[in-house]
Amino acid sequence: MEKRQYTQEEKKVLKSMFIRSHLTFLSFNMTKMEANGFTITMQPAIESIYGDDEEAKKEAYARHQNFFNTHAVPFAFIAGLAYAMEKEHKEKGSIDGQMIESIKAALMGPTAGMFDSMFFNCLRIIAAGIAIGLCSQGNFLGVPIFILLYGITQSIGKYIFLRLGYTYGTSFIDQIFSSGLMATLTKSASVLGLMMVGAMTATTVNVPLNWTINVGQTSVVVGDVVNSIFPGILSIGLLFLLMSLIKKGKRPVWLIAGIFAVAMLGALAGIF
Amino acid sequence: MSIMTAAVIGTIVYWVIYVLDPYIFSWQCINRPIVIAPALGLLLGDFQTGIIMGAALESIFMGISAIGGQIPADALSATVVSVSYTILTGADAETGLAIALPIGTVMASVNSMFMSLWSAIAPYWEKLAVSGKPNKFLAYNLIFSCVIAPIPGALVMFFGLAFGVTGLNNALAALPPFVMAGLGAASSMMIAIGFAILTSMIWSKEVGCFFFVGYVMVKILGMDSLSIAIIGAAIAITMFFREKSMIDMKKELMAAGVQQDEGEEDFF
Repeated sequence: MEKRQYTQEEKKVLKSMFIRSHLTFLSFNMTKMEANGFTITMQPAIESIYGDDEEAKKEAYARHQNFFNTHAVPFAFIAGLAYAMEKEHKEKGSIDGQMIESIKAALMGPTAGMFDSMFFNCLRIIAAGIAIGLCSQGNFLGVPIFILLYGITQSIGKYIFLRLGYTYGTSFIDQIFSSGLMATLTKSASVLGLMMVGAMTATTVNVPLNWTINVGQTSVVVGDVVNSIFPGILSIGLLFLLMSLIKKGKRPVWLIAGIFAVAMLGALAGIF
Repeated sequence: MSIMTAAVIGTIVYWVIYVLDPYIFSWQCINRPIVIAPALGLLLGDFQTGIIMGAALESIFMGISAIGGQIPADALSATVVSVSYTILTGADAETGLAIALPIGTVMASVNSMFMSLWSAIAPYWEKLAVSGKPNKFLAYNLIFSCVIAPIPGALVMFFGLAFGVTGLNNALAALPPFVMAGLGAASSMMIAIGFAILTSMIWSKEVGCFFFVGYVMVKILGMDSLSIAIIGAAIAITMFFREKSMIDMKKELMAAGVQQDEGEEDFF
């Protein structure tokens, strides 16, 4: 990738946009979601591009007040891209407002999915896994490590992707899509994610069976018998039972209530 | 420390975290139990319990958050209440953990109720945005998100902490022992819900087996999470480049195939 020289004005706008891109969820609501955050992030760009042209400014603001929703990091990428497109729109007229809106809309879904799998399902799990490991032993260092690994990386990501969006414009997402690497990236990320989930299931999920059957003189501790088949086999069984219920569309709230009921009844019967 | 002081501290922590994440700084980072619980523990005078409960609560809430826009349980309020409860009453952490999810569920519905309510002012934001006063728009948004938006949750939080914790404690003391055993069992099994949601989101037939690799690494080999992350990263990177080269190869083959076809056409 070639280095690109930014003008003084561009640098100023990009810096301001970077800081404002942290306000992604400002005044978040169910109808327009991140629209206000996007408008605020676009303000420096719009002010810089359109200057005194009040009519065009109004149009641009209305454009970016539309429904918007994606992950917080590609949010910056799309803002950078929108900056490039607005500039193109003003200077060359090759892109019209309609196109800016449709490109924004087209990018929301795929970028949200891609970054959710990278940040939320992979990086977060790694960061939390390390932090949980440290904190469960009473080591407070887990907290700064978690913020560093998962929070600061979001900011770095925003900084990089804002510039990337501005510089490489529309061709970027096209390239990843057409090269077919998107699926590969998601798959590799989920290998890591799944391994970490498996590891954490092993450390934290526990079916505390405390059930002893008395057969004449001898007593059988059921938990030990079950665990001798494979350690924690009940935990895995529970997890996959829950997974199949979720796949069938059961709401988590009902699963929580169900487990509560099972635990209570089990405790009453002396199983737990 | 009196209950009132603790309730005020808990409410302030709730407020500050609510504003920092997601509005000002990050998304799903500062408002995770692993960050809140130690911070609250420090303020309430029991850092160690805060840290340990942070680890346990993070495990519970790992998967139960922001799935497809619907949040089944609010990690922030659940953490604040369960950590305050544990530290103030000196109860064991397991009881605190068991009350976390029910509270989180209640608060999540309170939050989503107000989230829908705030949709009502969306037309106002639109009018303000096109009015050509960018600084006013920014300032009003900041005031709304930092001052008005946290109020309903903070109020519930304050009353819950001020009057709920003692009430809860008395109620729990009066319960028969099987209830406590059941609560303990429920809290260690509820963690599975979060992981189940998470697993079903990233599960695919092709790579699903790696879940068990991770499981065995901990359960049988007793490895720590960082080592597993390193091995997992190595596998993921290898896989990525192998598939990439396969895709490249496929493209080359296709390109070669096209050329061959052209050649044959010429020949005939």
